[in-house]
Amino acid sequence: MALLEIKNLHASVAGNEILKGINLTINPGEVHAIMGPNGSGKSTLSNVLAGNEVYEKTQGEILFDGKNLDDLVAHERARAGLFLAFQYPVEIPGISNMYFLKAAVNAGREYRGEEQLDAMDFIDLIEERKKVMNIRDDLLERAVNSGFSGGEKKRNEIFQMAMLEPKLGILDETDSGLDIDALRIVSDGVNALRDPERGFLVITHYQRLLDYIVPDVVHVMVHGQIVKSGGKELALELENEGYASWVGEEGI
Amino acid sequence: MDLMQLRKNAADHFKANGFPTTKDELWRFTDVSPVANTDFSSEWNASDLAFQPLSSYCLVFENGKLSPEKSKLNAFPEGVKVGSIMDHVDPRLGTLADAQSAFVAANTAGFSDGTFIEIAEGVELETPIHLVFLADVAGAAFHPRNFISIGIGAKVTVVEEYIGAADITYWTNAVTEVFVADRGTVDHYKVQRESATAFHFQTVEAQLGENAVFSNHAITIGGGLGRNDIRGKLIGEGGEAICNGLYLLNGKQQFDTHLFMDHAVANCNSHELYKGILDEKARAVFCGRILVQQDAQQTDAVQSNKNLLLSRGAKVHTLPQLEIYADDVKCTHGATIGELDETALYYLQTRGIDPVRGKAMLTYAFANEVLDEIKSASVKTYLENLVHEWLEKVSE
Ligand SMILES: Nc1ncnc2c1ncn2[C@@H]1O[C@H](COP(=O)(O)OP(=O)(O)O)[C@@H](O)[C@H]1O
Ligand SMILES: [Mg+2]
Repeated sequence: MALLEIKNLHASVAGNEILKGINLTINPGEVHAIMGPNGSGKSTLSNVLAGNEVYEKTQGEILFDGKNLDDLVAHERARAGLFLAFQYPVEIPGISNMYFLKAAVNAGREYRGEEQLDAMDFIDLIEERKKVMNIRDDLLERAVNSGFSGGEKKRNEIFQMAMLEPKLGILDETDSGLDIDALRIVSDGVNALRDPERGFLVITHYQRLLDYIVPDVVHVMVHGQIVKSGGKELALELENEGYASWVGEEGI
Repeated sequence: MDLMQLRKNAADHFKANGFPTTKDELWRFTDVSPVANTDFSSEWNASDLAFQPLSSYCLVFENGKLSPEKSKLNAFPEGVKVGSIMDHVDPRLGTLADAQSAFVAANTAGFSDGTFIEIAEGVELETPIHLVFLADVAGAAFHPRNFISIGIGAKVTVVEEYIGAADITYWTNAVTEVFVADRGTVDHYKVQRESATAFHFQTVEAQLGENAVFSNHAITIGGGLGRNDIRGKLIGEGGEAICNGLYLLNGKQQFDTHLFMDHAVANCNSHELYKGILDEKARAVFCGRILVQQDAQQTDAVQSNKNLLLSRGAKVHTLPQLEIYADDVKCTHGATIGELDETALYYLQTRGIDPVRGKAMLTYAFANEVLDEIKSASVKTYLENLVHEWLEKVSE
């Protein structure tokens, strides 16, 4: 069974149709990349998948792990194993990263019928996972993303993914704004989570990230549609030739 | 002035002026006619209400009267004098609290008990003194009067807590005067958990000597109609006043906070952080007046009032008032009224946290800024729990 199956997806925001018939299938264990110019609808797709109600799905079907996503609201999708690493992670003053993570981890455990982690077990899990992502203790104690640098926010997203162990990780331009060291840390974090049962949808602007997180399939998205799909060599082709040939007369 | 004369003057003032009306500038948004139009009794009864002592130093007042049985009065160390105000009338009693206020006048004329606390020079009492005021007689009026005075370099923490039986109407009208001598520190907490149909009014007035520190944390959860007047007089250089507050209101609760900080001399600081969370049809008034007199150069005064509305029916009036007569000062103020951040709620949801829990987390986070400032660990834990309980109640 496919992990994610998107069929003829149309979606609008603020009355404008942004996604115009997306078809995409990700099988367990696969890493898919979506590349495309700014404004082509990549973040819209990730938000529609995550269940952001600002975005309205107008047509099509999305099956995730055999479930119709129409039946699940955002927090249920997260509990069912769908994770979105945000392009712009949200700052939440007044809630410590630790407290937030514990609530999130335990919400997932409750859904799966597992026991709640107590403080000790939770700390053990944190200690184990924070090393890979190079998360300092002060970032755990501080309010979620509040005053974090751009790189810290992105690392914190992947750290959350490592804590929550989703079935599908969607990374929305996690690489943008990262220097080469941070890029390596983030990629190592993602690669450590690669697993025959788990899938990834890696949205990026640049081929660079795909040197570290090597995809099985690369899709090119333009004007709300996937205009070409291919192997990892497609990313290199894009890097060399740009999107011009797909963008058409109206430009990017 | 002796107590008799003081009471007589106050009674005369009250008779001549009566209760304020909404025509009075200071009472524009708070209509006290429900108090003015009620005849209150003054019968005494023991109280069945439960409370949680926050300290081994605990004084309990049952329906206005100090209960020697429920209180622990003998345990205090040397240099710490604590007891009923009826047994210790200080000559400064009534010289600080705003004599123009009808509520203060009614209290001065009618108080029948309250706390007297005197800390000798240099004595630092680490353990908080917990004052518990229990009210469970419907139709009664209580006028607790508290007097706190600490010597040079002395230190004390006082928690005043007002607890009422559910769903009964009565009137608490408290006055607390605080004299902080040079280099002294008073941390004063007020926890108001009256019945949601009770009237609660209190004036807290503090006077600070040189390099003295006074902090007041006012946590308001109960009361149907009420007001806190928190007033600070900085009369010695280097004084520091901190007035923080949190009001959590739902139903038809109406609560008014009037702060008045009087910078009379140079080089003093005052910091005021007030936060409110309002649900249903609750109403809040915040009026923060800072007076910087001509001699009060190098004053550093910061005031902030932030409000979170959980429902469309809730309403806040926030009125900062700076009156500055000195030219070299730093005074800032800000006020906000807003709703929960939908983007933050979505972010929490994408991590599996359901919206009910998410809202509670964000609301708690909003309140937490005030709780975070609380120094006493036992008081902090207690208040954190009260805030959690309140949030659980409103999210049901
Ligand atoms: N919340 C929103 N409100 C209004 N318009 C939006 C919103 N999100 C995206 N859009 C619009 O949808 C289009 C696609 O944006 P987006 O999905 O962010 O593209 P990408 O991530 O590929 O850069 C843009 O024209 C953008 O302005
Ligand atoms: Mg985007």
